[in-house]
Amino acid sequence: MFDFLEPFFFGLFALGIIGAGAAVVTLRRITAQALLMALTFACMAGMFLLLGAETIALFQVLIYVGAITILILFGVMFTKVDDRGYGLFFQQQTPWAAAVVLVIALPVAFLALSFHDPITPSAKGGDLIPLAASLFTDYSFPFEVASVLLLAALVGAIVLVKRDDQ
Amino acid sequence: MTVPLGAFIAVSAVLFFLGAAGVLVRRNAVVILMCVELMLNASNLALVAFSRRAGQLGAGNPLDQRGSVFVVFVFVIAAAEVAVGLAIILAAYRNRPTVNVDELHQMKG
Repeated sequence: MFDFLEPFFFGLFALGIIGAGAAVVTLRRITAQALLMALTFACMAGMFLLLGAETIALFQVLIYVGAITILILFGVMFTKVDDRGYGLFFQQQTPWAAAVVLVIALPVAFLALSFHDPITPSAKGGDLIPLAASLFTDYSFPFEVASVLLLAALVGAIVLVKRDDQ
Repeated sequence: MTVPLGAFIAVSAVLFFLGAAGVLVRRNAVVILMCVELMLNASNLALVAFSRRAGQLGAGNPLDQRGSVFVVFVFVIAAAEVAVGLAIILAAYRNRPTVNVDELHQMKG
């Protein structure tokens, strides 16, 4: 009875992802770009929900829609926008870039549309328990390496932005 | 009536190429960072979609979550990348007040 809901939400999220992503690439108002990027991330979380990856959708909302958008907005606040117009946007290598993108993108699109397997919802219980079991047993060493990487990025970011003029 | 796998992959490919075009044509360093995040997110969608398909084909454990585990590590890398990237942009901005990557052509401190 509610079979139309899944394609409906897929279309909604796909429209949000592609429309907001295109706006991020083409707009010139940088704050609007940052917020539209957050909209793209939120629609991507909906895509993960449709795919049955609830935990990934939760991480997506927490990390991308929350943390990364706020960081980008801080970067927008701290830097001055140079309002240069589209003079630099349409450069002379634009036809070459378009040709290269078409040559790569068309085969990728045909290849992508050749997969017809339906995506069925995951088993009950969600994906949190198998994800956690996999992450903390088989992948515990990469998990620890990732924590070291995050610590290094934290220290590195602080060192890079620290003023050394006092 | 369910959504085919190819539709997810097509959305992922479109978003990836949008991000790549943005990285190539935009000149604001912060906007370039945003477009890199879009590309990372598009790759995440493809990873989760193919992981779901591999779990359904019966080729392995249906509870196999390798794609999702990889996506978790991509999240970690993306968070580290945006923090360090913005720090580099701000350090370069303090040295020379512009975020236009065409004008940031020297690496001297």
